[in-house]
Amino acid sequence: MFLNAVIIVLQEILEASLLISVLLVFTQLFHKIWGKSFSLKTSWVAYSIILGIIGAGLYSHYTPQVSEWFDYVGQEVVNASIHIGSLILLLILAFVVPSKKITGKLMTRSRLTTFCMTGVVLLAIIREGSEIMQYVGGIAGQSGNFTPIVFGGIIGAGIGLSIGVLLYYGLMSLSIKWAYRLGLILLMLIAGNMGSQAVLLLTQADWLPFTPIAWNTSALLAEDSILGHLLYALIGYEATPSILQLVCYLSGMIMIAISPLFRKVQPHNQSLAGTN
Amino acid sequence: MKNSASMLLLSITLTSLFAYPASAAVAEIELVIKDHLFFPATLEIPAGQKVRIRIINQDSTPEEFESYELNREKIIVGNGQAVIFIGPLEPGRYPFFGEFFPKTAQGVVIVK
Repeated sequence: MFLNAVIIVLQEILEASLLISVLLVFTQLFHKIWGKSFSLKTSWVAYSIILGIIGAGLYSHYTPQVSEWFDYVGQEVVNASIHIGSLILLLILAFVVPSKKITGKLMTRSRLTTFCMTGVVLLAIIREGSEIMQYVGGIAGQSGNFTPIVFGGIIGAGIGLSIGVLLYYGLMSLSIKWAYRLGLILLMLIAGNMGSQAVLLLTQADWLPFTPIAWNTSALLAEDSILGHLLYALIGYEATPSILQLVCYLSGMIMIAISPLFRKVQPHNQSLAGTN
Repeated sequence: MKNSASMLLLSITLTSLFAYPASAAVAEIELVIKDHLFFPATLEIPAGQKVRIRIINQDSTPEEFESYELNREKIIVGNGQAVIFIGPLEPGRYPFFGEFFPKTAQGVVIVK
């Protein structure tokens, strides 16, 4: 029970934790690249976490009702909507980022970017947090379960947050150019994963048609291995993705790749010299 | 006369087929969770067909139906029920488990 609690809470926390890290890295990079003209307040993280936890509590509370919607596939529909909403916010973010060296202030763009970052993290915490709350809330109440689940949960959360912190400081220790490049790759994979997860859920609910699996790498890298879990949380690794999932994954990546965010992959070294 | 009657019948059949897509044709099987166990623990389904699994959780605790092989994951609230669509699948064994009580909640879908 203890180890199971560690694993369940860890894998839910990990997704949100890695997402926060990548977006925080971009918050810092934007400041370094554009200075005060396009600078986001890092306090968005605090707002998104607080609102996310409240949202997760509400979603968790109403899950019994939600799961009865649409002939008992309400959870899939709501969770897929959350994924699609997150993907849209990420794409807005990628497209409102200034694409050239700018001189004036860009209040609207920085506000919209902050809003998108807050929204993406908020939605991730609602989705992941509600699952933790259902697990802990539904099972810790049983006799003998409280201690292993609460302590297991705390340890799982601690590991998940630590990996996020490691990723953040790992990226921040690199040069701006490389931090930006790696952050961008991660963001592309995160966007692709959101599209792919939405497809998977809607297929599970029979709202989207079945498509055959694109490949099977379960022998090469099992989803229930440690690396498999980590890659699932980070980039949505699946051993047997369907063709439609693959198409949506690639579409999400391509959308980021054609955005101004991507074009900024090689910042002008001259303009960075002063702010680095 | 006979011809037009059969045409009418055919058109009604076709219309009803399009009016009630998939859902009418999908077979449903029931899976019960009780005392953190799946009943039946072995589900047999035909190959190449979509199947609706209705999971009924008779425990007061939630459970998460999970299967790496089926690529499915869903929480079923305590004393609640949920629907998951699987397939069409190739013949084979597709294990599933309850993520919240994995020691006891184990099962397998056998596709023939």
